[in-house]
Amino acid sequence: MFATRSEYDRGVNTFSPEGRLFQVEYAIEAIKLGSTAVGIRTPAGVVLGVEKRVQSPLLEASSIEKIMEIDSHLACAMSGLTADARTMIDHARVTAQNHAFTYNENIKVESVTQAVCDLALRFGESMDNEEAMMSRPFGVAFLIAGTDELGPQLYHTDPSGTFVRYEAKAIGSGSEAAQAELQDKYHKQMTLAEAQSLTLKVLKQVMEEKLDQHNVQLAQVTPETGFEILSEDKLKEVIEAM
Amino acid sequence: MNFSSHSTMNPMAWGNLREDAYPEPFGAYSHNQGVKPRADAFTDGVQRTQQPIVTGTSVLAIKYKDGIMMAADNLASYGSLARFKDIQRLHAVGDYTVIGAGGDMSDFQYLQQILDDLMVEEFAAEDGHPLGPAEIYEYLSQIMYGRRSKINPLWNSLLVGGFKDGKRFLGYVDLLGTTYTASTLATGYGAYIAQPLLRKAVEGREDTLTEEEAREIIKESMKVLYYRDARSLNKFQIATITEKGAVISESMSSETIWAFAEGIRGYGAQTS
Amino acid sequence: MSPSAQAPIRHDFNPYTENGGTILAIAGADFAVIAGDTRQSEGYNIQTRYAPKVFRLTDKAVLAVNGFAADGNMFVKKVKQRLEWYRHAHAKDMPLHAIARLIQTMLYAKRFFPYYVYNILGGIEEDGTGAVYSFDPVGSYEREACRAAGAAQSLVQPFLDNQIYFKNQQAAPGSPHPAHLPLNQVLALVTDSFTSATERHIEVGDGLEIYIVLAKGRNSNELESLKGVAEVTTASEAIATGERLFVLRRELKKD
Repeated sequence: MFATRSEYDRGVNTFSPEGRLFQVEYAIEAIKLGSTAVGIRTPAGVVLGVEKRVQSPLLEASSIEKIMEIDSHLACAMSGLTADARTMIDHARVTAQNHAFTYNENIKVESVTQAVCDLALRFGESMDNEEAMMSRPFGVAFLIAGTDELGPQLYHTDPSGTFVRYEAKAIGSGSEAAQAELQDKYHKQMTLAEAQSLTLKVLKQVMEEKLDQHNVQLAQVTPETGFEILSEDKLKEVIEAM
Repeated sequence: MNFSSHSTMNPMAWGNLREDAYPEPFGAYSHNQGVKPRADAFTDGVQRTQQPIVTGTSVLAIKYKDGIMMAADNLASYGSLARFKDIQRLHAVGDYTVIGAGGDMSDFQYLQQILDDLMVEEFAAEDGHPLGPAEIYEYLSQIMYGRRSKINPLWNSLLVGGFKDGKRFLGYVDLLGTTYTASTLATGYGAYIAQPLLRKAVEGREDTLTEEEAREIIKESMKVLYYRDARSLNKFQIATITEKGAVISESMSSETIWAFAEGIRGYGAQTS
Repeated sequence: MSPSAQAPIRHDFNPYTENGGTILAIAGADFAVIAGDTRQSEGYNIQTRYAPKVFRLTDKAVLAVNGFAADGNMFVKKVKQRLEWYRHAHAKDMPLHAIARLIQTMLYAKRFFPYYVYNILGGIEEDGTGAVYSFDPVGSYEREACRAAGAAQSLVQPFLDNQIYFKNQQAAPGSPHPAHLPLNQVLALVTDSFTSATERHIEVGDGLEIYIVLAKGRNSNELESLKGVAEVTTASEAIATGERLFVLRRELKKD
């Protein structure tokens, strides 16, 4: 097993005899080292939560950004190599703006997810006349939250470019335990407040540090107000109410 | 050599090189001037020059009971000079289609090449989908519109007639990429002189006209055109496209009578 | 003096022409009517008596195109292509207001070699209201209650202004002008517009095609009694649940 692996895991575009792309699989493994991110869909909107790993007391926790806005009706949380996420989110933002410009409507959550995934497998060697592209798979996974005419939705994407819709999903180092907890506690008719609270509870369980308003971030997307990141004051309230 | 004419855009004026030197009273040759502005909002945009050189005049075609009948004379003019008197302006493309052309003959021969190449390619594909008249017409229309959009038009008015799978087809396309279908069509001077005759004889009778009746209508129209169109010739061919395939006849002519001209005074050859 | 008497003039190729005809659309509260004559002409020549200028885009959107026919046909072809791509990418039919914006971007993309066509888009908006959008050749557009364009615009639009917007009409005390007219009245206005334009404009005539789009769930009673009406809704489930599309064909004078 090891022998075959070492032969076929070098080229990013080389299948192993068993039909696997090792570099892509390793990229998926890289997500499991990332910080935990959680998303929960409710009929009232979608909640995203991330753990910020504050490595040093001198680090400005507010400078860690793991939830980003794609458009006013779209948000995404990430885990893995967050630097890789820049390229992909930039692509998602341009796609969303282009759609709004051309069609005078919000792009659908699934469509923007598809656009992100289109980029995921565009790595390898570019041809002479092509512009330079990514040389390796993107090492990041996303939880994409948004609302459109089909209501609030939550999508998960991974470095293979696969995307799946979820009611509730956890990614990153604590994802196994977090997903088990979500499966236990999630129910379809949750309120937004319940989803916020559950997100924090799940994060709290898998975090090494003690959870407070500085080392987690919460965001939501609702049909009424669109994307918003919860302020530290609001976060503190939710934590205290847990 | 003075090829210029402010109305070469007008298919009716093709080959009308004398217009500059001897302006017609009331601009008679430039029939459209009264209604169609020569200059519009876009006239001052980017433009390049083109003009037809060796030109063919009208093409006529009608639908009849068994298919399509099309006719064109054998003349290619160089301005007002009757330069080539044995050229073919009807051309079969595959087994089901005939195209007929007015306007620049070198552009038409270029189109023949393109379409013949296309048919060879399609034959080689052996995919069981031979191109029919509707497909050839669409392809030709895209070429014509594409070239006009590059401001480098193929200077022709073309008729496409065909019969395939029990259905008749008759369409028009020109240098601007303008397209239309109808049961009677005529290009060039024929649009003025023959089209009214064709419509009167054919409209509403497309499914009952026999080949003999159709041939009479076409021949009569070609004769009238020969009397009236100075760029025409009393030597023409008739194509039929039916269930049995496309047939282009040998050249023929019409009986004409010119004795009446002897009595006309005021213009012509008389000196007194 | 004729310009041809001077030194040889360079002749420039003009890539445009006018093909006559007239189009018209009126929005109702829960329907839209889009119509056009079928004559295509150039100068004094009638090229054909039947060349459609009104096209079904989706079950809830109809586009009428008037001006240079070759550009019009190409433009409709490209719009339809974009609608299909959109259907594949987003798994739904493009909504009317999105088609309107798409048409603007497509027209403006050719700002310096324009499609020489006037577009009128009619149909049902996502909120179920009837809508009409009109465009100029380079993409300026607005939503309106009614619009006429083409050869007989100057004959038809003032008539519509008077009959639809009640311009120069004083409402009787206590009975204000209605915001929307019922379908049968709108259809009468459309046929009257075209028969009148046919009388007074040489480029209008031969045939009339009227598309009628009905909002979801609206009854089609007024149409059942008319002769020459055909339903052309494509999605079979839409006949029961969605917007419905009908065509009404009428003869116009051919002289």
